[in-house]
Amino acid sequence: MKSLPQRRQLSRAFGALAMLSAGAVWADGDAPDTSNWKCEQCPFFEGYDANVEAGALYANGANFSFGRYTGIDRSTVYADLGAAGQYRRADGLDASYELRDLGLASREGSVELGQEGRFDVRLGYDGQPTRLYDSGMTPFLGAGSGNLTLPGSWVPAGSTTGMSALGATLAPVRIEYDRRTASLLGSYIASSTWTLHAEFRHQEKDGTGLIGGTFFTEPTQLPQPIDYVTDTVEAGALWAGHRASLRLTYTGSWFKDDTDSLTFADPYLPINPASTQGRLALPPDNNLQQFALAGNLPLNFLATSFTYAASFGSLKQDEAFLPFSTLPGATVPTPSALDGDVHLSHYALGLALHPLRKLSLRGDAAYDGRDDRTTPLTLNYVITDTFPSSTAFTTPRYSEDRTRLEGSADYELERWVRVGVGGKYLVNHYGPDQVVTDTRDAQSWVYATLAPLAGLSFTLKGGDDSRKTSAFDAAALPAAENPLVWAYDYAPRDREFFTLTGSWQATATLTWSIEGFSANDDYRLSQLGLQSVHERRASTTLTWTPRETLSAYLDGGYQRLDMLQDGFTGALTAPWQVGDSEHFWNLGAGGQWALAARWTLALDYLHAPSYSDFNTQIGALAEPFPQNWSRLDSVRLDLRYQWTHAAQLHLRFIHEKYDSSDWALADVGPGTIPNLLALGVLPWAHDVNLVALTFRYQFGAAASAPPP
Amino acid sequence: MTRIRAWRTYGAAALLLALMAAGIAPARAQDAAAPAYSRKGADTCLGCHDDPALLGLFRTRHARPNDPKGPFGHGGLQCEACHGPGGAHVQARGKEPAGIVDFGPHALASPARQNAQCLGCHQSNTAHEWAASQHAASNVPCAACHTLHAAHDPVLTTATQVEVCTSCHQAEHTDLYKPSHHPLREGKMACTSCHAPHGSQGPYLLVGNTVTETCTSCHSEYRGPFLWEHQPVAEDCSNCHSAHGSAQPALLKTRPPFLCQQCHEGAGHPSIFNGPQGLPGGAPSAYLLAGGCINCHSQVHGSNHPSGRALMR
Repeated sequence: MKSLPQRRQLSRAFGALAMLSAGAVWADGDAPDTSNWKCEQCPFFEGYDANVEAGALYANGANFSFGRYTGIDRSTVYADLGAAGQYRRADGLDASYELRDLGLASREGSVELGQEGRFDVRLGYDGQPTRLYDSGMTPFLGAGSGNLTLPGSWVPAGSTTGMSALGATLAPVRIEYDRRTASLLGSYIASSTWTLHAEFRHQEKDGTGLIGGTFFTEPTQLPQPIDYVTDTVEAGALWAGHRASLRLTYTGSWFKDDTDSLTFADPYLPINPASTQGRLALPPDNNLQQFALAGNLPLNFLATSFTYAASFGSLKQDEAFLPFSTLPGATVPTPSALDGDVHLSHYALGLALHPLRKLSLRGDAAYDGRDDRTTPLTLNYVITDTFPSSTAFTTPRYSEDRTRLEGSADYELERWVRVGVGGKYLVNHYGPDQVVTDTRDAQSWVYATLAPLAGLSFTLKGGDDSRKTSAFDAAALPAAENPLVWAYDYAPRDREFFTLTGSWQATATLTWSIEGFSANDDYRLSQLGLQSVHERRASTTLTWTPRETLSAYLDGGYQRLDMLQDGFTGALTAPWQVGDSEHFWNLGAGGQWALAARWTLALDYLHAPSYSDFNTQIGALAEPFPQNWSRLDSVRLDLRYQWTHAAQLHLRFIHEKYDSSDWALADVGPGTIPNLLALGVLPWAHDVNLVALTFRYQFGAAASAPPP
Repeated sequence: MTRIRAWRTYGAAALLLALMAAGIAPARAQDAAAPAYSRKGADTCLGCHDDPALLGLFRTRHARPNDPKGPFGHGGLQCEACHGPGGAHVQARGKEPAGIVDFGPHALASPARQNAQCLGCHQSNTAHEWAASQHAASNVPCAACHTLHAAHDPVLTTATQVEVCTSCHQAEHTDLYKPSHHPLREGKMACTSCHAPHGSQGPYLLVGNTVTETCTSCHSEYRGPFLWEHQPVAEDCSNCHSAHGSAQPALLKTRPPFLCQQCHEGAGHPSIFNGPQGLPGGAPSAYLLAGGCINCHSQVHGSNHPSGRALMR
């Protein structure tokens, strides 16, 4: 039998519950009667409209430096072609297509078909060129293939200076590759709550890269064949309720490299007459399978929202091994493939709640595991074909798991001031074969957002971070590695950081924003290796929009990065130190102006230099490297003339000048370094004038609309 | 004893309360007097708001009359689905907001108020991870990024998205012009190629569970596992690379040999001091010039060669 106080307590609790539930029902309110909401004035799109763009562009002075990601890499005329269109029926059937940059290697396109509220299908293509260097020279024949040979006239020598046929046999080699992706994706709305989706992507990456191959101490820069195919499938189901959701996804990805190795002739005079070829293993085929579950669950209690995610999968690789060396009689290891198996797992939980109207709390916890279950192999590997002795060594396998806990609280003190605190705790636990067992990183911060005037707000945030590391196990270091060097991802570190962001809408037409960041990292316990990193960033933007037809902006940014590291060659030399100080600037200005009903002009100017200073010191001798620098200046002009409702002319002019200096590349030709047969690529530079004239014509509904 | 029982009772009640509140029910309590909607819905709104810039909405997914879940689908609240009940606004002849929710970073409605409108539909799909995201924590309104009335929302197009993101993330705007960069400035990659702005269970709002998973979703040749692994590669690509841009080749944080010497100082050449004496004109050094360490140790991402222990083949 319940006592009176107990009954009173229960009744109070249920009373509160009833009130809360009532509140929830109350909140439902009455849905408005929309039977008279005809939407007769709504200009829903029906029928079709389309446009085509046709023209030409000429890029005077273009090279790989200019066309790095666009494919405009030569001084020539390119077709400037594109098209887009859309068709929609009254019953909601919708089809569209978009084709861009058809005359360039960066061309892309898509076709979509769908029925509103039923299904969507999209077929896409994307070309992405990468043009790295068009200044390289090599004596090797067969660039782009897996077998590089030397011309019959080749004269091997102990150093590049003695390679008497080098000059006569050099031929240009272009370091470039193209990534082409075709995709097919679709979604089907099975019911009001269930949606099924699937995507297939086929990606090819082919061309020529740059890789080093070596014979003991005599390396050569080689053209690397790139012949990759990656097929990816994603499929899943989404359940979406009114506010909660759950999604299940499977991802499978298969990477295939059609060239498993790169064999190259030794351009040097072989120390071991039997060793005349080198061989590099190229990326092995691999595959990833992953299952994921994720969702959210909003609760009425304190306006709480949970998010959750879990995924698990495996990464496998079982490509057949190459022989230990290129020497006659070289064998293939047993087993003949790795049977690599890495298990990946991820669990995460996020939480956001508002216990008070002015207080919000957020937190998340995540775990990531990388469990390398590959059986370690003990191999009698050949250190170098030059001296074909072998040494038994067991391959290390690297596993780790990470746990992240993060939380923050935000409170609105007044309508114009919010304050917050937050913290993060990271634990990385490393598996066997590593020099530490774990690192623990604790970070905390405070911030305040002030909005003293309408349109003006700024946020100040500051905090610190301390990373502690377990005992250092020098026995896990590779032989001869200096135990005083703590790799910086393991090393104890103290960090302090500060950010400032702000924006001010000074008038209805003028907006100013600013962002600043400062961080200092101190690796205080590292006797060698990275000692400190200081980072400073500041940016600002001013925009002015006096009327709809006129807008202008001015922006600028500066970044500085300073790194300092210590080294120690040996007892007979003094400790040494290297400082790397990097500076980046950008200054931009421009605007857009609708000159009259038919003319629109856009103009942009950009100036973006960078400097990188390496300073070395050994003992009392301090010596700077020559400054590495880059400088980008660009002017872009876009002029559009709306000829008729349907026809538009578009004139583009770009002047872009880029120059750079890099001491690692400057004056480094194929024969500059006695023990390195280099490709001799040059730092990026270009001075380009690009002019494009394009005619655009509209069909269908849009063509009958007045000019914008 | 009585006090313990009381706490038990309150505890049980609180648990029950939480369980019941966890049911799929509408949002927390709102004002008791439900505000009035307009009489004719969008036809009322369009009577005044007929600016062509606003009518771009009717080219978007938000204005599809056959989509049962869309605001303009059958029974949908049309303009007022997002902007809230407009009855008072109409009565005031549009002279004051009168309960209308406006959108944007400088809107009268608070970011939380704006976002509540969007989340009313998108909380269980696109924005299901929004509540715990850094953007939510920073009070970013959805309309700071999305231009809902434009026929083509710039943030949804690869070529124009970066301008939207860097209007706030201004430091990343500077990164675009660094000598080594991903092809964002050229419009061939979007911020969302790597980041999930609506929330993510990975770090830094990444689309993958980890940095490495995100990077290798495109750079699948480095996925491994290799016979000979390089520990920092397996751990986290950002140990060596600055994804947003760098003055050094291949987005490296600093260049070889110095980058490598931050971890490797073994007896022999790894620990050798590399000064300007190694430049052309002095005694040109293969440890310093061209690729530095990777002239020989070219397989820094891992090697599958049986003799690739030193990542040289």
